[in-house]
Amino acid sequence: MAEVVLENVEKRFGDVRAVAGIDLTIRDKEFVILVGPSGCGKTTTLRMIAGLEEVSGGDIKIAGRSVTHLPPRDRDIAMVFQSYALYPHMTVAKNMSFSLRLRGMPRDQVATRVRDVAAILGLSDHLDRKPRQLSGGQRQRVAVGAALCRQAGVLLFDEPLSNLDAKLRVHMRTELKRLHQSVQSTMVYVTHDQVEAMTMGDRIVIMNAGVICQVGTPLEVYDRPVSRFVAGFIGSPPMNFFEGELVPDGSGVALALPGDLRLSLPRPELASRAGRKVSFGIRPEHISVAQSGRPLSDLAWAAVASPARVPAVIEVVEPLGHRVVVTARGEAGTFQMETEIHAGVRQGDRVDLWFDMNRAYLFDGETEATL
Amino acid sequence: MLPAALYLALFIAYPFGMSIYLSLSDAQAGNQKWSYIGTANYSKVQSYDLLANDFVLGRFPSEAAARAFVSERPLLKVTTFPAPGGGHRATLTAPGRSIALLDMEKEEDATFAASTILQDTSWTVRQAGGKAEVVAHEKESAVTLGTFTTRKAVDLAATKLLVPAATRVDIHGTGVLQDPNFLLALKNTFKYTFGTEILKLLIGVPCALLLNRKFGGRRLLRGLVVIPWVIPIAISAQAWLWILDSTYSVINWCLVHWGVLTPQHIINFRGDKDLAMLSVIAVNVWRGFPFTTIIILAGLTAIPDEILERARLEGASAFQRFVHIISPMVRPILMVSLLFSVIFSFTDFNTIWIITKGGPFDQTQVLATYAYQLGVNAGYLGKGAATSLFMFPIMAVMVFFMLQFLRREA
Ligand SMILES: Nc1ncnc2c1ncn2[C@@H]1O[C@H](COP(=O)(O)OP(=O)(O)O)[C@@H](O)[C@H]1O
Ligand SMILES: [Mg+2]
Repeated sequence: MAEVVLENVEKRFGDVRAVAGIDLTIRDKEFVILVGPSGCGKTTTLRMIAGLEEVSGGDIKIAGRSVTHLPPRDRDIAMVFQSYALYPHMTVAKNMSFSLRLRGMPRDQVATRVRDVAAILGLSDHLDRKPRQLSGGQRQRVAVGAALCRQAGVLLFDEPLSNLDAKLRVHMRTELKRLHQSVQSTMVYVTHDQVEAMTMGDRIVIMNAGVICQVGTPLEVYDRPVSRFVAGFIGSPPMNFFEGELVPDGSGVALALPGDLRLSLPRPELASRAGRKVSFGIRPEHISVAQSGRPLSDLAWAAVASPARVPAVIEVVEPLGHRVVVTARGEAGTFQMETEIHAGVRQGDRVDLWFDMNRAYLFDGETEATL
Repeated sequence: MLPAALYLALFIAYPFGMSIYLSLSDAQAGNQKWSYIGTANYSKVQSYDLLANDFVLGRFPSEAAARAFVSERPLLKVTTFPAPGGGHRATLTAPGRSIALLDMEKEEDATFAASTILQDTSWTVRQAGGKAEVVAHEKESAVTLGTFTTRKAVDLAATKLLVPAATRVDIHGTGVLQDPNFLLALKNTFKYTFGTEILKLLIGVPCALLLNRKFGGRRLLRGLVVIPWVIPIAISAQAWLWILDSTYSVINWCLVHWGVLTPQHIINFRGDKDLAMLSVIAVNVWRGFPFTTIIILAGLTAIPDEILERARLEGASAFQRFVHIISPMVRPILMVSLLFSVIFSFTDFNTIWIITKGGPFDQTQVLATYAYQLGVNAGYLGKGAATSLFMFPIMAVMVFFMLQFLRREA
């Protein structure tokens, strides 16, 4: 049982409010990701949970017990640092067992524990090496191993994968996720990488400027972002935004974009808001190609959706494999879309693009909240 | 490549080669011609004296029996016989008793030595391994059993002492190794070096730990701590000369002022033969500890915060963090600092020369000052060179072991 509860937790560094009063409940054995741009207070939040940083206000409870004023070692937590923080003079085995030895656990038990954890992480052959004789990925595993050895109720990770190369990062993502299923600890994982957040967590906590913007499952935050910030942060390539205005359109409402573009919206309930400034957001994956003279597989899609035609010029085509990211310029501005590599778009083409208005987002021009 | 080789040859090899050449010659100030004399400056033995003392004259089952033997002393006489292996054997005899003492070539030598043992020594009884021994001890100086020109001869003579005794061979000669002052200087050099290094660590480590904490004025204090190291010793030594002055010492003044000492019993720091070494060590430590502090501080600063935080998280107390994390991580750089600092202390000349000039009675004479005294002041260039070159192999061995240690750590 290791539920982590933050109640109005705040941290000030002099005049800087690094964390501005956050409430969060992390359930037992949950894998929660704290994600947000650099400097938004993720690390500070994690360090307050660990006890490495005093809170300036609020209360932290772990397993139902207030730990706000307890030293780190009494909080039943283990942490994996961004730099791995391995003891350079100790072998892998010694690194992993340091906390156990400090606690005075009998030698044979320590050895068994280290052996088991090393086996899980594929470190069995490296137990006698020093950290400097290991590759980046292996060091990272040792850091994780050291945290696992303690069998703490809560495992904290601060950007543990950011020092690895891209391929290893993808691999370790899967590994850590698998690990979570087997170790039965509550995990709190900090990252600035939304892909990591989306792929790994049970729930994602999106932070910005010291506050929590939204908490939800990956699907929830993708489908129903609460604000323009969340919508723009989650998804890759990021959502396209256009500044526009709501205008009356028959009984409903339409969107007027720069360049005399009018897109009708399947959102009759917004009729009362006609005349307001809004941001219009659409994800690259919800735009498709309709090029004259070619049979369009995307037309089938257009039939079930609510497509709006937007003429544009193709500026850049970046193939990612079977998908391509296309940067296009229309009257309303420059935007990106994602489509199949076989769609046949070429730089300089003039095309009609189709926005799926069922998947469009509208954000209030002032509060930036989702409408 | 060529300029580097030339540089090495000119500025390093030449002076070093020159001093090696000097040490192998009979160079002396005022001599017109220097000639090669081999290793005579290092070691040239002229004679070996065999000395012995504490002769065990007999072992007895009980103390009473031993005392009985001691009371027989007036009855004992020295008699000589031809020895079985040639030469003469001196024996202590009394009615019913005969103790073979030693064999010697000449009869009168044997008689003389035996008579000395019989007449000039004090006899005591001591317990050894459940038996009572009668030991003849010469208070003034050991009994000389002969002077020899070769090692073989003296070793052979030592075997011809027929009772157990404490023997010693005194070597006389003209090389520095036969010079008791050189041996004293060597001993003093080690005392000076290790005394200094241990104290520097004892002071430098706490200082570094203190300066590594966060507090107001830390930067200022870090700046102040290096002062002893950066001001030239020629200047700071003036202050120390006053502090340690026999008449005007501020330490004495304080002690007298507080009533610890009376003006008649003030401490003579530089003149007392035990305090003089402590005084020069104190000055050298004062001058050298900032270096140790700064180096260790650099080592401490180089430990990433995250490592200490991880240790804290894993349950290590401040003391455990120091023992298990900080010390081992600072150790390599500490060894580097020690390496430099040992080299500085071992070859230090300035401090001692300014404070005591090696005195009193050579109690603070180290190899560097003795080499200078011998080579420059007394004009024995060859011997002076040999003395200073002695530092080289010793240092090489010390440096080798320290580097070995460093390599193992890394
Ligand atoms: N020790 C500190 N002293 C002063 N400001 C700090 C300190 N640690 C963090 N901050 C500030 O708090 C804010 C949040 O930092 P951090 O939690 O590290 O962000 P993140 O991990 O999300 O990138 C930043 O503006 C940072 O400059
Ligand atoms: Mg961070």
